[in-house]
Amino acid sequence: MDAEGATAAVDAGHAADAAVLEAVSRNSSGIRLQERGPDDGPSSRGAPDLTALAGRVRPLVPASDLVLPVPGDLGRLLPGGGLRWGTAVSVVGAPGAGRTSVALSLAAAVTGVGEWVAWVGDDSLGAVAAAEAGVVPERLSVVRDVPRDRWDAVVAALVDGVAMVVVEPASRVRPATARRLAARLRQRQAVLVALGEWPDRVSLELSVERSSWDFADGLGERRLDVTADHRGRPVRQPVVLGA
Amino acid sequence: MDPGSPAGTTARTVCLWCPDWPVVALRRAGRAPASGPVVVLDRGRVRAASDEARAAGVRRGLRRREVEARCPAVVLLDADEALEARVFEAVARALEGVTPRVGVERPGLLSFPARGPSRYFGGDGAVAGKVLEAVAGVGGDGRVGVAGSGFAASLAARAAGDGRGAEPAGGDAGGGGGDRATGDGRSLVVPDGDTVSFLARWPVRVLAERGLGEVTELLARLGVRSLGDLAALPEPAVAARFGGDGVVAHRLARGLDPHPSRLAEPPPDLDEVVELDPPAQRIDTAAFAAKALADRLLARLEGRGLACTRVLVAAETEHGERLARLWSHEGALTAGALAQRVRWQLEAWLSGRGLVEGRDEEATGGLVLLRVTPDEVVAAGGRQLGFWGADPRAAERAGRVFARLQGMLGHEAVVTPVVGGGRTPTDRVTWVPWGDARSGAGGVPGPVPPSAPGPAAAPATTPGPAAAASGAPRAGAHRGRGGRSGERPAPWPGAVPSPAPARVHEPPLPADLLDGAGTPVQVSGRGELARPPARLRCAGGVGVTVDAPVEAWAGPWVHDVRWWDPGERRRRALFQVVAGGVVFLVSIEGGCAGVAAVYD
Repeated sequence: MDAEGATAAVDAGHAADAAVLEAVSRNSSGIRLQERGPDDGPSSRGAPDLTALAGRVRPLVPASDLVLPVPGDLGRLLPGGGLRWGTAVSVVGAPGAGRTSVALSLAAAVTGVGEWVAWVGDDSLGAVAAAEAGVVPERLSVVRDVPRDRWDAVVAALVDGVAMVVVEPASRVRPATARRLAARLRQRQAVLVALGEWPDRVSLELSVERSSWDFADGLGERRLDVTADHRGRPVRQPVVLGA
Repeated sequence: MDPGSPAGTTARTVCLWCPDWPVVALRRAGRAPASGPVVVLDRGRVRAASDEARAAGVRRGLRRREVEARCPAVVLLDADEALEARVFEAVARALEGVTPRVGVERPGLLSFPARGPSRYFGGDGAVAGKVLEAVAGVGGDGRVGVAGSGFAASLAARAAGDGRGAEPAGGDAGGGGGDRATGDGRSLVVPDGDTVSFLARWPVRVLAERGLGEVTELLARLGVRSLGDLAALPEPAVAARFGGDGVVAHRLARGLDPHPSRLAEPPPDLDEVVELDPPAQRIDTAAFAAKALADRLLARLEGRGLACTRVLVAAETEHGERLARLWSHEGALTAGALAQRVRWQLEAWLSGRGLVEGRDEEATGGLVLLRVTPDEVVAAGGRQLGFWGADPRAAERAGRVFARLQGMLGHEAVVTPVVGGGRTPTDRVTWVPWGDARSGAGGVPGPVPPSAPGPAAAPATTPGPAAAASGAPRAGAHRGRGGRSGERPAPWPGAVPSPAPARVHEPPLPADLLDGAGTPVQVSGRGELARPPARLRCAGGVGVTVDAPVEAWAGPWVHDVRWWDPGERRRRALFQVVAGGVVFLVSIEGGCAGVAAVYD
């Protein structure tokens, strides 16, 4: 607690509290006891600083509960160092550029904390690549051959049950469905990763432009150029997956 | 109280063990031949074997093929837990004449406190004799052990008689420590105060049956081979090194109750009752209600920070008949285990006959009341991580969703991968439908083929042999064919090295891999190319449309698999090709090229 906080409390009329707050404010010399009356203080007049008050009474939620940390270069690119629970993320890029690998890295972060990932798509997912990216195979499941008319129901059911749902192709989704899913995601605190353009607002868009291999000893190390766009502020960085 | 063990911890227990109960139950039900080798399998592994099969070398845990190899005339049957429970119910009922507090752990194993019956019948030996008499009266065959703790009593039952169940370290089943074998050699009484020395001789692996498999393995590798060695370690050190499981193992090895916080008298208002109206005639209806009951009870217990290790399940029919049975469990009961035991009890009661004809004590009419009361509770040790380190609630929620989707879309619609050994990314993966067993499903089906004849593949950019031999270490940690988890998978010569492609196409999408002269690339039987690839063209679907010159390439990895089977023989050559900035895995088989995978 600093002097401004103490002042705000005084202005709200709690003089006793102010004395206590000031008494426990610490400086480099340790706890100091100081008597402060209601007339002291540099800016004791004026409207109470409500935002500061609001900040003090908001329940504390540890930041780690809101964000799933993603390790490695990819995580450093993401805002907050990871994915925010309860949101949708879209991963776009030319085929072959590396968006499936990026999605697998995100899935690896989820299975790494003991949660489950469902991949809605077709048979073409390479499970060995998933295992190499760090996905725990026991907690990855693939839902395939979903008929077009059941697609909405299937994805909604999966959002209820698992922590991350990867959907592809995202072009199948109607905007109305996407909006309903957004509400459900928020409620269940799950993450939806869409491979392709998502017809609704997303909190994060990862766009994979180019990948290059250095061909040292076989294919060698792969470097992806990924742009993370969070609320209109794109950040672009080379990313080595799994690093 | 057993004065020999540290004060106030365990009570003397009598344990009855019916060896190879699954076989006995199947024989009683007429589903197995009454003599000759019979083996009962559970999920592909041996669970119980008859005497004749054991004489031929069959042991628990072997696979089906190994059994068939050791004993060709054997009759193989699948385990039927409901039948075992049903038949065992008669044994449990027969013992009610000896003591009212019979606690069944599983069909074939039950125990009860020894103090009361011992005083009544005049000694532990007399109690053992009475138990054997009662079991013989219903036509069963059992072994009795009496010792200072439940665990020691179960080991004593194993060692009784011919000591067939397990051998203590040093191989002497009944001698030393002053043990007295009584009865007709089918019971073993460990006198007061000798429990700890009796336990000391047993090898550490007997703990594995109490669900402490990992700790046991670790202890064995660290050189702690017998329970005596384990008991000699200081408890804080064991707790620090092995955690909660280690403490349980340590307490068991010292003859103590593994749950120090066990409450003998659980709080009184904890029973859960469900009334069934109309009365349930079928087991399925009752079992469904029992599942809900189990969930509710465990939720309430968890709310108080308790878990239960013994429950009393009571059922009542519309004609007033009542059956109550105590079920005990070595660890804390989960909802699934509890529901399973309720189901066993209902199976035993509502259908079928027990061992004895003529004594018609089965229920008439339907079930109206089901009550579950915890009989013994312990402090819950927090939420335990599931078998794979996952959050069990997350696993349960996910499992429910997947089961629902399977109902909507079909069993094969929801699959999980099992990664094993193989040469190509597709060979290494088996997609197992949700709910099917994952074990034993990894990699290429069939026995491991030897490497192909002819010269091994000489790729243009040669990766090191280690890279060719295995996938990523994490992938290798899964159970390959016949391998222990954690071992590196067997080398697969000619395997495409890691990293693995993120997109695979099986069958490969048709493509053209052309050389500099515009003709398709051909690979000779020895893996030689006339001319290197220069252009890749493919028009197959999303993400695989390319028509570009080849910027770099590697290969060929030539496979000639199952050459001994003309129907199954496959000869193909794989190339890694970079075209248009994208890396493809191209396979040439039978003169046709195709894109087998894309490194997306």
